[in-house]
Amino acid sequence: MNQKVFAPWDDPNQKPLIQFQNVTKKFGTFTAIDDLSLDIYEREFFALLGPSGCGKTTMMRMLAGFETPTSGTIRLSGQDLGQTAPNKRAVNMMFQSYALFPHLSVWENIAFGLKRESTDKDAIAARVEEMLRLTRLGKFAKRKPHQISGGQRQRVALARSLAKSPKLLLLDEPLGALDKKLREETQFELMDIQEKTGTTFVIVTHDQEEAMTVASRVAVMDEGRLVQVATPADIYEAPNSVYVADFIGDVNIIEGNATPNGDRVRIDWAEGQPEIWGTAQKPVASGERISFAIRPEKVTISKEKPEDRRNLLEGEVIDIAYLGNISTFHVKVGNGQIIKAQSANTRRLANRDITWEDRVWLTFTETAGVLLEG
Amino acid sequence: MRRFTLIAVPYLWLLALFLVPFLIVLKISLSDYALSIPPYAPTLDFSAGWQGIKDLMSKLDFENYVFLTEDALYWKAYLSSLKIALISTVLTLLVGYPIAYGMARAAPEWRPTLLMLVILPFWTSFLIRVYAWMGILASEGVLYQFLSFLGIVDEPLKILSTNTAVYIGIVYTYLPFMILPIYAALEKMDDSLIEAAEDLGCSRMSAFWLITIPLSKSGIIAGCFLVFIPTIGEFVIPSLLGGSDTLMIGKVLWEEFFSNRDWPVASAVAIILLLILVIPIVLFQRNQQLQREAEG
Ligand SMILES: Nc1ncnc2c1ncn2[C@@H]1O[C@H](COP(=O)(O)OP(=O)(O)OP(=O)(O)O)[C@@H](O)[C@H]1O
Ligand SMILES: [Mg+2]
Repeated sequence: MNQKVFAPWDDPNQKPLIQFQNVTKKFGTFTAIDDLSLDIYEREFFALLGPSGCGKTTMMRMLAGFETPTSGTIRLSGQDLGQTAPNKRAVNMMFQSYALFPHLSVWENIAFGLKRESTDKDAIAARVEEMLRLTRLGKFAKRKPHQISGGQRQRVALARSLAKSPKLLLLDEPLGALDKKLREETQFELMDIQEKTGTTFVIVTHDQEEAMTVASRVAVMDEGRLVQVATPADIYEAPNSVYVADFIGDVNIIEGNATPNGDRVRIDWAEGQPEIWGTAQKPVASGERISFAIRPEKVTISKEKPEDRRNLLEGEVIDIAYLGNISTFHVKVGNGQIIKAQSANTRRLANRDITWEDRVWLTFTETAGVLLEG
Repeated sequence: MRRFTLIAVPYLWLLALFLVPFLIVLKISLSDYALSIPPYAPTLDFSAGWQGIKDLMSKLDFENYVFLTEDALYWKAYLSSLKIALISTVLTLLVGYPIAYGMARAAPEWRPTLLMLVILPFWTSFLIRVYAWMGILASEGVLYQFLSFLGIVDEPLKILSTNTAVYIGIVYTYLPFMILPIYAALEKMDDSLIEAAEDLGCSRMSAFWLITIPLSKSGIIAGCFLVFIPTIGEFVIPSLLGGSDTLMIGKVLWEEFFSNRDWPVASAVAIILLLILVIPIVLFQRNQQLQREAEG
């Protein structure tokens, strides 16, 4: 990669495309979005990630204009969207259910939005053809939505929402209905289209892998609040809370009392167990209760006791999850806690030497994990 | 064999309850009026066997049908029935669509109740309900009393015994047939389609015309046929609510049968009516078929 890193959120001169300013949304007494502030920049592929009911769809619907914030403002290119009706916003949405018009052909579905703002038949036809090409739907232009497959329908929905060249495209769980393989293909297609058109995408997803794959930045939400907004790598490597660490990928959480020692921190976590050494990202008070989070793939497992390691735990293999390319070992250490360790399966199954009930050693470096509050 | 029996049952049913009566009426329509019991000739002589049938066939003719074309009363009655049926269908649609739309938009927990309210009148006798309308529409009836209480009218109403009363009666009676299929179509519709239309630049109004109406088309068509088809032959409403100038073929049919006791002519009228109805019925079936295909 020789191009400049795309990171407008780090550039103070950049003007955000979308600004949520202290937005709160209440349904009756229930607070769906709680005093949320967020900037999203042009050309971003922004992912909203969170458990069911955390308010992702509500945020999208506020952007599209189907819901109005109870308080706070939402700006698009600096302009307060306020009460602007959905049909007056330069925002298009790809619905979770696709919401294709069943009585119109694929061609007419894509042309629908264009026909609302222009009567120039040739221009509309040209644009529809372009969209058909982009989403590889040319062959199906004349079919009705019920005559094409789920994946094709999904592409029609995408083409329809892209046709008007919106400033902002909202995708609410666009790939929810697709099987894994088609899903992965489509993710790359989406990224490709996003890059080609330069449109800003905001995507909602349940699937953390999907968010990590497609997004330039990921926002992890919980109960109407943003817990962390960062690049996929930061979210994964440097989660800011146990919640995020736990939500994204697999993680071991070890709770203990901290004792700072230079730029390292000692964690006493269980009676009779060797202490763990970690690296503090920010100052830690002596005796503070903290959580040490470490990803299973950063834990090395071996049958022989390695020499010269500061973080060394002994335990017994109680479970092995074979995933093809990797295996996850569930190891019970002295105080009964289970710690997961992963290793790549470079050798064939029969030649693997670690098996159930083996005594094993777990090691990791002092910088492999992160220290989190609470 | 079992399969054959299964298929045979509905066919036997149709044969006994539709085809045989139809053939009897057809036969009567080709007979001549006679002062006898039954009041037509010839009759089939079963004891004469095959020869009896031959004799019968040789005496049948189309005289009555020719007669229908000669007397202007009949084709005027047909045309007038078609006109009244058409206007009533449009009126019923105009009244029924907003009701169906309102029902489909109502909160889900209210829908069964609303549906109930639409169907409820069917549980009282049709005749009683039409008589009730006579009481309402009479020159000094309930409606008059109500309106004069409000000070809107000061002289007796002239609604009963006019075509207006017939329209009111038909719209009232057939409204559920219009509401139910439209409601069924609207209720199935996904709300997000309207949101998608608005998202793509439609106003509320144009989303209604471009999405809601086309998607309820099959319900509209079904409802229109369900009102139109029985209205053409309607007899009770025009004879109870209509006046002497309300001309409908159902009434003519009744008079031929029971006042003139001219069964052959009455049968001919009925056969022609049936032929007229076959066209919309076939169209209706086709609509249902297309809808099933679109859904399947
Ligand atoms: N119209 C509404 N009236 C009342 N409550 C609502 C309404 N819409 C959403 N909510 C509530 O707001 C919360 C957030 O809903 P939202 O649809 O945004 O969740 P989500 O994050 O999209 O969840 P999912 O991943 O399941 O789609 C939920 O608890 C939901 O019950
Ligand atoms: Mg949602």
